[in-house]
Amino acid sequence: MDKTDSGVGPCDLDIRIAPIHTLNTYGVWLVERLSLKYGVLGLLKEEPLHGYEVKNRFEAMLGGTWEVNIGQIYTTLQRLERDGLVRPVGSRGDRGKLQYELSPEGKKALNEWLSQPDSGPQQLHEEIYVKLLLATRIANGDLQPMLARQKRAYLQRLRDLNRLEDRARRDGRIDLARLVRGALLHTEADLKWMDELSSERFGAEARRTE
Amino acid sequence: MSELVRLTDVTKVYQEGITGALNDVSVTVEEGEFTAIMGPSGSGKSTMLNLIAGLDRPTSGTIAVGGTDLGKLSESGLARFRRDRIGFVFQFFYLLPNLTAVENVLIPAQLKGNAVPGRALELLDQLGIKDVADRYPARLSGGQQQRVAIARALINNPTLLLADEPTGALDTTSGEQMMDLLVQLHRDGRTILLVTHDAKLATRYATRVLSLMDGRIVDDARLESPERAPSEVIRVRSEEASQ
Repeated sequence: MDKTDSGVGPCDLDIRIAPIHTLNTYGVWLVERLSLKYGVLGLLKEEPLHGYEVKNRFEAMLGGTWEVNIGQIYTTLQRLERDGLVRPVGSRGDRGKLQYELSPEGKKALNEWLSQPDSGPQQLHEEIYVKLLLATRIANGDLQPMLARQKRAYLQRLRDLNRLEDRARRDGRIDLARLVRGALLHTEADLKWMDELSSERFGAEARRTE
Repeated sequence: MSELVRLTDVTKVYQEGITGALNDVSVTVEEGEFTAIMGPSGSGKSTMLNLIAGLDRPTSGTIAVGGTDLGKLSESGLARFRRDRIGFVFQFFYLLPNLTAVENVLIPAQLKGNAVPGRALELLDQLGIKDVADRYPARLSGGQQQRVAIARALINNPTLLLADEPTGALDTTSGEQMMDLLVQLHRDGRTILLVTHDAKLATRYATRVLSLMDGRIVDDARLESPERAPSEVIRVRSEEASQ
């Protein structure tokens, strides 16, 4: 995957804050475009679809966790057509009704994408990471109130995710339940991180480095 | 809802080398609540449960359950309290190996002088293991043994059900069945205190989460259960990406 070279290096904190954020914005944007592109290719592999069908199926596949506007779908289809990965089926009349199918190159591109592991930098696009760095500087190292609030938010999120996982299972959406399970485990790790930051050991470490 | 458990300035000091001390803990639990007690090992969560169960006495402070001040009870009074009011489920079942399942369930009832085998069988039936009532623990699966332990905890119809890592020794499926049982017991009106280190488990079943760290309650979170749209819980696409 083509990642931006943001120039994040072993420099001091002041300089690092800005590039990390830049990397996030750009990195996530890139991932979104790639996922949507291949999401569209994957759906077209099943059968030819027109724009609205792609939008509806994509959103249904994601179980309401990613809403996409129809303009993005059309832009994506046009780019895919330009690159020879999809082609229109039938005649070009009413654009809204135009169906697309996967080309042999599209199939190849899709298979290649699926066969690659996700690599590149870890995506940390939640605000807590930057909040934590700033609070360390501003609040004289007393992070406890922030950690306590964040921990509580994570507990509530875990509860919400548990309920979402249950719902997905009840609906027979095992694929979606797996996705939610991934989010659950990530949130559990976030919670452990809060506990670790709160614990005496890390408190003592922080005092030593001052 | 009325108050069922009250800890006031409870401290438990152990001799050096033993972890799990409690440091000036005050908390109340309402009747009908399903509360999870979370914390790393040695944070005092099992100690707290043992003190509420009357299995141990605090170094200082008072513990009241259903209005009874446990500190005012004699040893035999405390034993009666445990027998009549508390159901306790442990990680490692603690069934007596030379008694059958149904005989294990009946122990607390016998101590009370009220051993009715029909009641024990009824409980085993409710827990779906009536057919193994006459087996010895060695011939039961982990999940079955834990059900026997639950039936034993329920035989005297306790006010308060305490569970210390009840799924810790079970496989995932048995663990889930075990927790579904606790949920059912909670729906039937029982007050449940669950000790666990598993935040996924705690937040799935309990609506209140007490966090312990180094013998202190560092957080008391009440969780909400509103119906949320999936996009309010997870967003696969990030906010930034939409710009």
